This record gives sequence, C-alpha cells and structure tokens, in this order.
Amino acid sequence: MKKIFNFFHYLLIPQAKNNFRAKALHHDFLTIYLLVALVSAIMFKNTVTVGGNVLGFATDVTIEKLFQLTNSERAKQGLSPLTYNDQLATAGQRKAADMFAKNYWAHYAPDGTAPWDFIKKAGYTYEYAGENLAKNFMFSQGVVDAWMNSTTHRENLLRKEYTDVGFAVVNGVLNGEETTLVVQEFGKPLSGLALTREVSAQEPQPVVSQAPQAVPTAAVEQSQVSQAIPAGQTVNGLSGGASRPLINLMPAYVNLNLVFFAFLLLALLLDLYFAMKLKVIRVGGKNIAHFMFIGFIFAGLLLITLKGAIL
Amino acid sequence: MTHYVHHLKKDIQRHLFDYLMLFTSGVAFLIALNVFKGEKLITFIILMAFTSVYIIWGIYHHIIDDSIRLKTVLEYILIGFTIIFLLKLLLIT
Repeated sequence: MKKIFNFFHYLLIPQAKNNFRAKALHHDFLTIYLLVALVSAIMFKNTVTVGGNVLGFATDVTIEKLFQLTNSERAKQGLSPLTYNDQLATAGQRKAADMFAKNYWAHYAPDGTAPWDFIKKAGYTYEYAGENLAKNFMFSQGVVDAWMNSTTHRENLLRKEYTDVGFAVVNGVLNGEETTLVVQEFGKPLSGLALTREVSAQEPQPVVSQAPQAVPTAAVEQSQVSQAIPAGQTVNGLSGGASRPLINLMPAYVNLNLVFFAFLLLALLLDLYFAMKLKVIRVGGKNIAHFMFIGFIFAGLLLITLKGAIL
Repeated sequence: MTHYVHHLKKDIQRHLFDYLMLFTSGVAFLIALNVFKGEKLITFIILMAFTSVYIIWGIYHHIIDDSIRLKTVLEYILIGFTIIFLLKLLLIT
C-alpha cells in the first residue's frame, strides 16, 4: 500500500526525486501519452472492422438501445411498450437510403414521397403511423433525449395509439458530409374495425413530428432509391437480413479520453499547487496555459458528443 | 491556498495580454466547433488550428518571458499532438 502511495506521490507531486516536477508531466511520460494515443487510435480503427465491413462513422447509436430507451420513456408515462416490427424497420432503412440517394433531410422527399409511402411499400398497412428523424448523434441516449425535449417529437414518441416501432440507423453521405441517420417509424396495424372505417372513406392517420420542410435537391450520388442499403452505406439493425450488429468501442474510447483528460488536469493542478507551496522555480511550460488548453479541449469534446439534429 | 491564489493572480496580471489571447482563441475554438458541428473535416481543421495557436502561444510567451528552452517547446508540442491524436477518431472517422 505504501509503495502505491509513494508511486502516486512521485507521479503527481513535485519533489527532489522527480526534479521538482510531477513525473506525469515529464517529457518521457508526455511521449508515452502521445504513443498511447497513437496506438489506441490505430487499434480502435482496426477493431471496429467486422466481417470485412468498416463502421465508417464514430457513433454509438444502436437500434437495441433506441428501442429500449423508447419503451422506457413510454413506461414512465404509463403507456404500453411498443413491439419491434421488421416491416417498419425496413421502411426506416428505405427512408434513410432515399434521403442519402436524393440528398435531403426532411420528412417528405423533394419529389413528394411521404414517410407513409415507405411504410406501405414495406407491407405494413397502418391505422396510425408516425416518424421521427435524427442525424449525427454520437449516442442513442442523446437521440432519445433530443426527441423527448422537443414537444412534437415527444408527442409522437408517447402516442398511446402506436403499438409497433421500427428503427434504422444508417451511415452515408448527406450534403457532402458523412452522416449517421436515425429513422424511427411508428405504427398501429389496420384492424378489422378500422378497416370498416376506412371503407367509409376515412383516410389513415399518419403523424410526422414536424411540418414538412422544403429542401433543395443537390447532386444525387446514388440512384438506387428502391434499394434499402446502397453501396457506401452501413446499416445497424436488430435482426438478420440486411441488418447486422457492429462491434462498437465508441463508449470505451470516449471514456478513455475523459479519464486521460481528468488525469492530466489533476497532474497539472497538483504540480502547480505544490510547486507554488514549495516556492520552486522551474524551467518548463506554463501550467495555467496547459490548463486553459486542455479545459477548452474538454469543453469541445463535450460539445461534440452532444451534437446532433432532429426532425 | 491563499499563497497559491495570490501567485496565480500575480502571474496572470503580469501576462494578462498573453493569457487573454489564449483565452480568446479558446472561446473562438468553441464557437467555431458549435457553428461547424457535424462537418467533420472542418471540425478537425478547427482542432488543428487551436492546437497550433496553443503551441505558437507557448513559444511566443516564453520568448517574451525570456524563458524559452527546447524542452519547453517540446512540452507544448507533446501535449498538443497527444490531444490531436486522441480526438482525431472522434472527429473525422
């Protein structure tokens, strides 16, 4: 125990043994950090390769988690849980593929294709249907939180009429940017009673979370609109077929970053404090400057992990 | 603790312009990140630019302070590049 204490003392507190500079801030240690950062970056890039396919974008948005969080939010409101529906998931994948192919970010395609068209084409006959969209989120929790913080999306997610849900998490290029799109399709299948109502000329009731927006159509890179997963796009799914699970080390990587930043800040703080207490004059960089730099980077990291847009 | 705060205050007051410059570039970094969020390449360029500013700031500050040494410059470079490599994957993969 004493040995461990002495080691951390030597690592973090300026003293004669470490030439009055925390060992964690010596050049040899700083070089080790640099090498570890390099190696972890290379390892991370290689580890996310699954079955010859590469998860091209650094996100940890999974369908399993989205499904679990959606039902958890509904449970909090005393609503019945939604059942995962493969047809709605297929509709979501086709919608996402269509957004990439036609280069738009909206509920309605520039050619007027509605979200319900994808649902119908997937073979799901609905009484009620709804759609939530999200893009560029790093975590599933962030996606569901953003939907819950928006009145229209929240209402959509918590509609008591829905019984089924399907998700699609698709990576592709939108407006020239690598984008992770999340499509959440809700539905309630048309029952016998509703069928009778429909016969009496009543239209099904689709719900989008927001009024459709006009989005200018830019250059289309791929034309396989009807194809669920065009080349260059990766899809994350719950079940088999076109979907496949991906190994994702993103949370571990983000946590590694946070732990490293915290350790470096602690080392700088202790080094600065004890150097001043011991009234040591040293040759080296300014700890306050390092503090400011790492602090801003830390804030930037949080900003990046919280990014994303919903529709 | 009082001595610690006093020393910090003294150092900041002595180099107020330098620290203000670094702080301003940090704020600009965060604003730029927010403006260009989602645009991965631009975000990475912003990170590179801020790291460069930090390294150049270190060299400039220590020249003004008449305390420039090779190991001091190396310290800024090592910290800066470690941060770049750590965040590279988060930003541009």
